[in-house]
Formats: sequence, structure tokens, C-alpha cells
Amino acid sequence: MKQSVRRIGLVAGREFLAAVMNKGFVIGLLLMPAIIALLVVVFPRLMNRNVPPVRGEVAVIDPTGQVATGLRAALAPDAIAARRRDSATRALQNAPEVVRDAATSTPAMDRAIGTPPQLTILERQANADLQREKQWLTEPVAADGLRHLALIVLQPDAVVAAAGSAKYGSYELFIPQNIDDRLETELYDAVRESLVAARIRTHNLNRTEVEAVMNVRRAASVTVAVGEERRTNVAFNRFLPFVFAGLLVFGIMIGGQTLLTQTVEEKSNRVIEVLLSAVSPVELMAGKILGQMAVSMLVLAVYIGIGLFALMSFAMIGLLNPLLILYLVMFFLISYLLFAAVFSAVGAAVNEMREAQSLMTPVMLVLMAPWMFATVIGREPNSTFAVALSFIPPVNTFAMMIRLGSATPPPTWQVLLTMLVGLAAACVVTWFAAKIFKVGLLMHGKPPNMSTLIRWARAA
Amino acid sequence: MQLALELKRVRKTFGTTVAVEGMDLAVPRGALYGVIGPNGAGKTTCIRMIMSILFPDSGELSVLGQRSALEAKDRIGYLPEERGVYRKMKVGAFLTYMAQLKGLAGEDAASRVPRLLQEVGLPGVESKRCEDLSKGMLQRVQFLGAIIHQPDLLILDEPFSGQDPVSVRVLRDQILKEHRRGATVLLSTHVMANAEEMCQHVVMIHQGRKVLDEAMSGLRRQFDPRTIHFEPLEANANPSSLSGMTGVERVESVDGTYRISLMPGTDPGVVMARLATAVAPARIELARLRLEDVFVRIVSEGEHSDAVSQALRASVTAPGPEGALA
Repeated sequence: MKQSVRRIGLVAGREFLAAVMNKGFVIGLLLMPAIIALLVVVFPRLMNRNVPPVRGEVAVIDPTGQVATGLRAALAPDAIAARRRDSATRALQNAPEVVRDAATSTPAMDRAIGTPPQLTILERQANADLQREKQWLTEPVAADGLRHLALIVLQPDAVVAAAGSAKYGSYELFIPQNIDDRLETELYDAVRESLVAARIRTHNLNRTEVEAVMNVRRAASVTVAVGEERRTNVAFNRFLPFVFAGLLVFGIMIGGQTLLTQTVEEKSNRVIEVLLSAVSPVELMAGKILGQMAVSMLVLAVYIGIGLFALMSFAMIGLLNPLLILYLVMFFLISYLLFAAVFSAVGAAVNEMREAQSLMTPVMLVLMAPWMFATVIGREPNSTFAVALSFIPPVNTFAMMIRLGSATPPPTWQVLLTMLVGLAAACVVTWFAAKIFKVGLLMHGKPPNMSTLIRWARAA
Repeated sequence: MQLALELKRVRKTFGTTVAVEGMDLAVPRGALYGVIGPNGAGKTTCIRMIMSILFPDSGELSVLGQRSALEAKDRIGYLPEERGVYRKMKVGAFLTYMAQLKGLAGEDAASRVPRLLQEVGLPGVESKRCEDLSKGMLQRVQFLGAIIHQPDLLILDEPFSGQDPVSVRVLRDQILKEHRRGATVLLSTHVMANAEEMCQHVVMIHQGRKVLDEAMSGLRRQFDPRTIHFEPLEANANPSSLSGMTGVERVESVDGTYRISLMPGTDPGVVMARLATAVAPARIELARLRLEDVFVRIVSEGEHSDAVSQALRASVTAPGPEGALA
């Protein structure tokens, strides 16, 4: 027994060092944070810098005669920039202070606002021919001329409701092909602002009072738990289940994929029989699984560390329940054991990576399942579907992890039952996989199908 | 007599194919046994069962006094027919790893590596990656992986396969050195000349069955070829009188050399003395026993035609990927 443990340790140590002690691993390890940094920091800057401002003409038919002037003012670049600033500030209303401060700083806000479109407003006669104006949108423009961007047609009852009706009219918008949909939003915001202003003026109301009456600030809720209170962060709560599901899948893929390729490589370069003279197939499989598990744990530790550092930097660490990290580690170990056993059995059964693809397809589909369910479970973590999925291996660990990361975590007994079911499933799968591993290692020739694998398992 | 290895009525099938049938084998401790037979005879299956890599369908096995090689893995050195290395691993690290798997402490294992590499003519390669070595060098490294822990039982499956003459010589010397150290050696080969030169005892396997289990000395007596090779000193000598000599059954001439077959019961020494007197010899010798002849004779007796015998002879003499002993 002692010798067996020693041999498993030696195999695991070699697997770990072989995976970790090379440039590829270090590059791979840093690649994910680098990509995230690129997306979060560099990409938006590049996007904003490279977007040329929209320039063009917008024609307006205003039968009311009370909107066009206001619309011209509302579509002025400064007015557009002000609306964008208000919108960004509202979006950050419930964000943690550090994030809010960082995001609303002048350079960050400037980047968020970008360059407002430069629009020239062309007022048409109230009785202008609509068909002719529509054709104007499709007329070719000289290279240095302004594009014809939109035709806004205000309805006659847009400012004053028709007699006997409580409803106001609105507007119609015509645009040529290939127009940025963000321009539509800008036009809507401007039309809305100028229409509201015209209606208030017509009804002789005080706009400040109306806005004050309409305004109800949304409260930032406080989550109350036993012995603690913390500010609820909706975005964080929505994001967290995805992060946990992602970390689980990512950890399994790192270890599992390497396990598969290395087993195939050992088999194809004939080192396997040399190893089998020193270790039993079960010792070899156990050592390989443990070695790659250590690799995955190292990667997860690095990513969790980066995540915690980021939360601390933004003073959001209080939003995270530390117990979740413990659950993540435990569910990772259970899921990893199950999937790693399958990966190693497939690696032992085939002769080359190409042959592994058909056997790996169902495994990959199962690994992708959490992504499909994450939104549904995250939104309704205690629905019958979510609860049932928490007890069906092999997706139970993913489902439970998503539920744990949600705003309303499940009861403890369900968490423990998921662990128990997951562990039992992992043991059964490992037992079955070990039999395939044992037989498959020395098999060469025609790649096996599922029925062959079952026959091997029976024979072992 | 203490046995290093014992097989009793061992049988192994793969589906409907019988790979090994009724195999009995007893290898005493300290012996150097050769398992011979053509490709596909069942040698590797036998060895894999001895190593507990495969398990017999029926029969009993004992390795170094244990019921399974799994219980004596650390005392066995094994060089499989299909052997490889971790290509990215350094030679020293690979050998140390193999020795550690066989129970040696890390420091002890690492300290043996330079000396062993020196002995097989590969000084200073421990810091090179395995993928940087030539095939011949790599095979010597693989052999060292099998002996680095000084095993009590050394099992070598086709050890000379794909080796150049220099490597064959180095390996042969190392195998004999391990034998002198006291290790029991069991080697399999399909090129019978290899076994002929090295082994004290040979076991022949054909179609999964043992067809011969005999000491080389006994074989030489039992399968006395009764053939003398004679080459006259003078190229224009007339040796027509040889065929009429007492005890001579037949004389065949091939490229100036004569193959003289003797009648049963004839003393070759007497005939050789007469030959030397009759015609001045440049070379006169008693033909050596060739295992391939023995093998072909055994398997052909009563069951094979001449055509089959020829095919069998071709299968056991053609080196194929294997080099002959230097």
C-alpha cells in the first residue's frame, strides 16, 4: 500500500512538472487574464478612438410647427454629449463608490461618451411631399458631401392630442440602408425631449415641477444575512453564477484536455508498456489524474487570486461570500474526478487524437450544458428545474454552483446532497473508466466505439 | 532448485484466437533463458502475462516466489518490445524517474545514472533531451531504464530489435554482465542466432505452444548436425575421393567449399582426420548447431510439407528489422 501510494505520488509529480515547467503553460496561464484586460481596458479605448464621428443631414417635417426648433437644439453635439453623460451616470448609480468614481472621472467619462454625431437639421415644409422626401434618403451624395441620414415626420397630434383623445401622436422615422442603429436611439432621445418640452409649453406647465413629481430614485438594496448586512449589487449577482460555472468548466478542461493528450501521446510513443512494468494501470491512472488535478488547481488558484485582488481593488470584496470559494473547490474536485476519469479512459482507448474526437463529443456537450442552463438557473435558482438538475450527475455540480452564486442560495441540505450524489457518480465513473483504461492501454488498431468500450470494461 | 519464474498450464486467448496454450515453464534463479520463435508465436503475450500486464485465462504463474509480478515489480527489470521514452524529458531525469518508480530513492537513482551511461558508451548525455538522441542511443537508454535498479529478474522482449551492430555488442555485454551479477535473465527473440550465442537454455514457442525446452548443451548433443565444412588449400585440388570415404553419406560442393554429411553413428573426429590427410585443408570444421534448423525440424516433423518448412526457415532467419549479433 505504502509503495503504491509512493508510485502514485511519483507519477503525479512527473505529470505536474511536465505540464507546468514549460513556456506554453506560463503563456497559457497568463493568456486568459491578458485577454480579459484587453477586453476591459484596451479594447474600448481602441473602439472609441477608431470610430469616426457620424456626420450627415436629418430632414424634419413638422406639421405642428412647435418641435423642429427644439429638435435642432436637442440634436446639437453638446446636447447629445450631455444626454450620454446623464445616461452613464444613471447606469453607475448603484455601482460601488470606487467603481463609480473611477468610471465618472473626466477621461473615463469622455471615453464613454465618445464623439457625438455632427448632424445638420433640414426643416421641410409642413406639406412637403413624403414620397419625394423618402427618395431624398436614397439620393447619391458627393464624396465630400453630407450623408442623408434620416427623415423625421412628426404627427399632427404629437404636441396637442386630438379632440376627444387622451393619447398624443408620435413621429415616424425613415432611414436609408446601412445606418448605425445607435443613431436611431440618439434621434429618439432628441425627439422625445423636444416633444415633451413642446407639450409642457403648450399645457403651460412647469417642467421642473413635472420632472420633480415624476422622479423616484431607485434605492440600492441592502442584503441582510445572519450577523451581517451588505449592499446588494445586481450586476455582481447576475455575473457571479457565470463566473463560477466558467471556473468549474475551465478547470476541468485544462486538466482533462492535458490528461487526454498526454495519455494518447504515451500510448502512441510506446512509453506506456515501460511504465506498466513499474506501476499498475490503476496507479498510473490515479497518478495522472492527481497530477493534472494539481495543475488545474494551480490555474484556478491564480485566477481566483486575480479575481479577489480585483474585488479588493474596487472595494467589492464584501460582496463575495468566502464560503463560495470553498464550495467551488469542493465541486471542482468532484466534477474533475468524474471528467478526468472519462478523459483518461478515452486517451487510453484511442491511438491518436483524431480518433478521440468522436468519443469526446458527448463529453464536451455535457461540459457545455452549464452555459445553456446558467441564465435559467441563475434567474430562478430554486425552481423545480434548477433543484432537479442539482441532483442529476454529471451536471449537478455545475447547477448547484450556479445556484450558490445566485442572489438566493439553496438550503444547505441540498448542497450536501449534491456533493453526495456527485461523489457517488464520480466513483462509479472512475471505476468503469479504470477498467477501460486498463484494457485500452495496450490495444492498438481500429479505434473503439462505445460498445467496444463496454465490452472491454466487462472483460477487465 | 529455487525458481525465478514458473508457469503451469497457462492459457491466453484474444477473442477466438488462442495466443498461448498449455504453457509450462520453469526458470531457475540465476539462469539465462532465451524464448525463441517466429513473429506472432506468442512470446510477447507470454512475457506480458509474466509481467502481469496481461492476465492468463487459466493456469498458474509464479514470479520470484510471488503469485504475481505486481507483488515483485521492484525486483524485476523489463524491456518491452514496444518501448518508448518521454521525448521532452532529459535522459538523466527519465532514468532517475524509472529508478524511483522501481523503489530507489531519488538521490541514489540520480547517482547511478552517469556511471551507467558511461558503461553503455553514452557519457554526458544525461542533460540532453531524449528526442535529441539517435534511435540506437535511445535504445541503450531504454535498456538502462530496465537495469538501473539492479533487478533480480531481467525480462527483455526482442532486446536487439532495430539495433546497429555496435549497439548490439554493447547490449549483449551488458546483459551478460547483469547475468554475472546474479540476475536471472529471460530474453525473447525471433532471430535464433542471438539466442544461440548467449543463452544457456532455450524455449521454443510455435503457434502459442512450447515445442522445445532444452539446455543449449543438451541441444547440441541431441541435434548433432553430423556435417563437416571442408575447404581445400589448393583451389585445383581434386577431392573426388571424399565421397568414397568410410562414414561419409553425401558430399555437396558450393563455391569451392564442401558440405560433407556423415552417416549416423560416425565419429566426426575420425572423418576429419582422414579428410586432412587426403586433401590439404585451408579450413575444416564441424558445422555449428543452428537453432533455426532445430526449430524447423521440430515443427516440420510429421505435420508440414517442404514448402512450409522453407517458409518457417525464412521467418526465423530473416533479420527483418533486427540486426544480427556482431
